[in-house]
Amino acid sequence: MVQIELSDISKVYTVGDQTIRAVDGVSLKIEKGDFLSIVGHSGSGKTTLLSIIGGIIRPTSGRVLYDGADICTLDDDRLSAYRNSKIGFMFQFASLLPILTARENVLLPELFGPSGRAADRKKAEEYLSMVGLGDKIEAYPSQLSGGQQRRVAIARALMNGPEVILADEPTGDLDEETEAEIMDLFKRLNSENKVTFIFITHNLNLARQAQKQMRMGQGAMKEI
Amino acid sequence: MILSIGLLVSALVFVLSFVRRVDSIIKVTSARLGADILIVPSGSRGAAEDILLENKVKSFYMDRAAVDKVRKIKDIEDLTTQTYLVSIGGECCDVPETIVVAFDQDSDFIIKPWLGNKLGRRLKKGEALVGSESAMNISVGLTDVDSHLFGNMFRMVGVLDKTGTGLDTAIFIDESNMDDILRKGKAKVKQGEISIIFARVKKGADPVKVAGEITDSVIEVNAVARKDIGRSILDTLRDLNRIFFATVSMASILSIFLVWAVFSAIANERAWEIGIMRAIGARESHVSRLFLIEVLFIGGVGSIVGIIAGTAVSVLLAKNFMLLKNVSAGLGIWERAIIALCSLAAGTGICVIGALSPIRRLKKMEPLLAIRKE
Repeated sequence: MVQIELSDISKVYTVGDQTIRAVDGVSLKIEKGDFLSIVGHSGSGKTTLLSIIGGIIRPTSGRVLYDGADICTLDDDRLSAYRNSKIGFMFQFASLLPILTARENVLLPELFGPSGRAADRKKAEEYLSMVGLGDKIEAYPSQLSGGQQRRVAIARALMNGPEVILADEPTGDLDEETEAEIMDLFKRLNSENKVTFIFITHNLNLARQAQKQMRMGQGAMKEI
Repeated sequence: MILSIGLLVSALVFVLSFVRRVDSIIKVTSARLGADILIVPSGSRGAAEDILLENKVKSFYMDRAAVDKVRKIKDIEDLTTQTYLVSIGGECCDVPETIVVAFDQDSDFIIKPWLGNKLGRRLKKGEALVGSESAMNISVGLTDVDSHLFGNMFRMVGVLDKTGTGLDTAIFIDESNMDDILRKGKAKVKQGEISIIFARVKKGADPVKVAGEITDSVIEVNAVARKDIGRSILDTLRDLNRIFFATVSMASILSIFLVWAVFSAIANERAWEIGIMRAIGARESHVSRLFLIEVLFIGGVGSIVGIIAGTAVSVLLAKNFMLLKNVSAGLGIWERAIIALCSLAAGTGICVIGALSPIRRLKKMEPLLAIRKE
């Protein structure tokens, strides 16, 4: 069953008098429960494509259908709800808010969701324990290592029980052991909960662990 | 930014308090006077307003014959007269410089309403009443005190109710004392002279028209309708108002720019953070709410600081304004509350207006672009 369908997606940035075609006519079908990796050089448009799927940037042209509905035509409230409830986003950089503790960062998606302020603190603690940070619940990002911050971001991405996880180099600055643990966690969620995974990586070994592998170059996409 | 909003609001509170207070002094005086028309010697209108509105100690006189001339004017119902005597500290020993008002108890309709139950009888010769805020009243503690006025002994037998006008600091005696005062020769007034005539017009008559008729017919007097009392002060006040409000308006515009600049910088600095929040599901309304709380906090705290400072300044500086320092008519709690609320609304409003554009720009930014802005 097709969960996400990209039809002829293009994204053009204008910087001064220059136009940069970050994504150029990409069409792709992703089924529910797919485990997909995207590789490519820096500047090949991987992050932009992932952001378009996640609804955090609108394409210049083309359509993104999620369960048959075009997310590009949604108003802000519905698009925000889509990002909040359907998508779990992991950025390639540390993306935790510095003034919040690990638990508060994990709780953020719930605060912006329909439950509002009645956030489930226990669930946040369970996710933090699941990523091995049960003893760092009250720690601030500045008190955590890069790898630990990355794991808090993973817990945050899982908090609202998303149907799709979009991960931009999720294990980029982690040691091999942690990288393996996180990939195991992704695979477990994918097989047990049918969560769709799309992740970007430079690590070909990691990319090969995915069920489908794609390569991006100069804004275009090819299946490997 | 809190300090700048505080300064602006304090200026606004001061201006509003000043304008309202002067305006209320004039209105209170006019409303409580009990007469429709004031008739003073030609050229003495300003001095009369000085006494009634500002408690200045002045004297002016005209011939009593003017009373009969005024009485003949059509539509005049009642007349009563008063004579203002200036008691000078050094001259009359133990009384500070004060206006002493000699009034005719038989025809009076100006003082009577403020006698209340204090005396309950006619004022006798050699007796005096003091205004509620009279210098004597405050310094001596009254009543039943004997004081020398113009070489004559007077017994202070009562205190008038507060009128909120210049009469509150005066001393009142019956006209029958004038002969003794004149005999001692310690007052400037001469035999047969009075200071002011108060007139009431017949029902349905227009006091302004009647006042005009008096001025035209009786050459030695100048008649002023009650609603025109303090007109020159009000005109000056209106000009001052314009200057004040132009200054406050310009300061408000500058404050809006300041808030805009500060919030633009804050929005740039926090674009990444907002981008992350938007990426995980924050709606535009969440971003607005987040910033609005900060804006209202800054505006609210700044305004409260300004209201306190402005009120303190208006109370302290009032002593330096001739128009305000002697009069008793202050601002009531409700007036002060309304000024405070208006100033609070202005202070927070300026913050909200200034911050609107940066907040709108930030919340409309696509999350990825906001994140990359860093």
